[in-house]
Amino acid sequence: MIASLRRLFLVLALVASARAAGAAAGASDPPPDILVSRGLMRERGLSVGQIVMLSADARGAGARPFRIAGVYEPTPDPSRFTAKRLEARMHLPDLLGLTADPGEAGAVDAVGAINIGLKDPADAGAFARELAARAPAVSVVPTAAGGDEHFVIIERFHMAISVVTMIGSTAFLLALMVIRADERREIAGLLRLLGLRRRRILLQALLEGLCIATAGAVFGVMFAAATQGAVNAFFQWRYDTTLVFVRVTPAIAARCVALALPLGVMAGLLASWTLLRRPVLDLLRR
Amino acid sequence: MSAPVAIVEARGVGKVYPMPAGPVEALRDVSLTVAPGEYVAISGPSGCGKSTLLHLLGCVDTPTAGSLLFEGHPVRAMGEEERSRIRLRRIGFVFQRFYLLPMLTAWENVELVQSEAGMPAAERRARTRELLEYVGLGERAGHRPSQLSGGEMQRVAIARALANRPGLLLADEPTGELDDETGEQIGDLFDRVNADGTALVIVTHNPALAARARRRLAMRSGRLAAPSVVAGS
Ligand SMILES: Nc1ncnc2c1ncn2[C@@H]1O[C@H](COP(=O)(O)OP(=O)(O)O)[C@@H](O)[C@H]1O
Ligand SMILES: [Mg+2]
Repeated sequence: MIASLRRLFLVLALVASARAAGAAAGASDPPPDILVSRGLMRERGLSVGQIVMLSADARGAGARPFRIAGVYEPTPDPSRFTAKRLEARMHLPDLLGLTADPGEAGAVDAVGAINIGLKDPADAGAFARELAARAPAVSVVPTAAGGDEHFVIIERFHMAISVVTMIGSTAFLLALMVIRADERREIAGLLRLLGLRRRRILLQALLEGLCIATAGAVFGVMFAAATQGAVNAFFQWRYDTTLVFVRVTPAIAARCVALALPLGVMAGLLASWTLLRRPVLDLLRR
Repeated sequence: MSAPVAIVEARGVGKVYPMPAGPVEALRDVSLTVAPGEYVAISGPSGCGKSTLLHLLGCVDTPTAGSLLFEGHPVRAMGEEERSRIRLRRIGFVFQRFYLLPMLTAWENVELVQSEAGMPAAERRARTRELLEYVGLGERAGHRPSQLSGGEMQRVAIARALANRPGLLLADEPTGELDDETGEQIGDLFDRVNADGTALVIVTHNPALAARARRRLAMRSGRLAAPSVVAGS
């Protein structure tokens, strides 16, 4: 039954308009079934099998009874993970009946967004084009991830986090290398004064850069892997979502190491090269 | 038999540092020849150009006027790599502040320049042991500079300077940071180095150290003031 409900569903944001209506049951037809989000269920102390009154109007005009058939976990949405997900899912005819109430015919449509789950996510583009052609006032945007699994990982969200992290660590690595090189200004000058070739000093810097970058990348990946559970648990608790905030996959770890190694080596070489270009005596002068 | 080629020969050299506030003339028309096995001391007030002259003699820097020959070869015509090679193989340097590599032990400090010069490992080990014993630090080979006294660090620096059997050892205020007694010991060591055949040019404020040299020069305002004073012979 849940499966059949899911097949054709709409999410209607009914913020604060769900009201318990246990005694209101008793009409001729049994009230239609709905699914209630976990957040709404807990917030209002609802339970499965209960009859509730739903209305598309904030004041409760034109309310209709529905029977809670089950609970669902809303698909995490990175763009609004701080919002409370007080939502319900119902059949489309029930939604139309609810919103097309004659007494509220002129009222502003309270539905701001509708997520439509297609049987075949590959149809999203064609569906969006067709709908946009028919309803020019509606903006139709296919979401990146297809299915309605609970643990959808939005690529862009993770990419943004990764990019910010990598830019940050790159800047840090560069600064570290430049500081190290400057600390070693006198040593580089001394080595050159003693007659060591620049190539040899650069090679030394290259090896050191490689060691530091390797250690840094391995430590970073290990640290991220060790703490991701705690980080996710904290933010999932904080924002009451199942959204996965950090996920260190082998691919991400490999990408991180692949980026860090050349970066570390280049930073070390660059910092040393700027030193070695200067005259020997400049390096030794305090 | 022809006269031996001078180790280093300066002919009318000058050194001008271009500075934002106008050029600084650190050396003016300095001529000096250092023959193999010589022992030269240069003294003079601070800022008169002693270090600048030493850097030119040591092929660390190049003159802006005059000509400089190292073992008969014009330094001006040499590239940085060539001067670097000469510094490594033909010249030893000793400084006031010792300039040892802090992360290396005494042994490694002495060995480094030998490995850069491509000396085989066995020969290197023998030479390093010999040198540390020569300067009286055979027992301190595994110690880092931070574990050594000033006099001991300077002796390691002298061992390093001699590692590749240079013809010339240049020292800039080598006793400047040492007490008199330690300075005496370093002076004794220099005497022995010179007696063993290495030419020495020592820049110093220390009259006792200068007095050990057979040839003493005075510098003033970028010039070698008096004609060379030759002691002894
Ligand atoms: N790299 C440099 N740039 C500008 N001026 C310098 C530089 N090195 C030395 N000088 C100037 O040249 C003069 C001689 O310096 P130096 O040879 O160090 O003297 P000394 O060793 O006799 O004390 C001084 O006036 C000094 O300020
Ligand atoms: Mg000086």
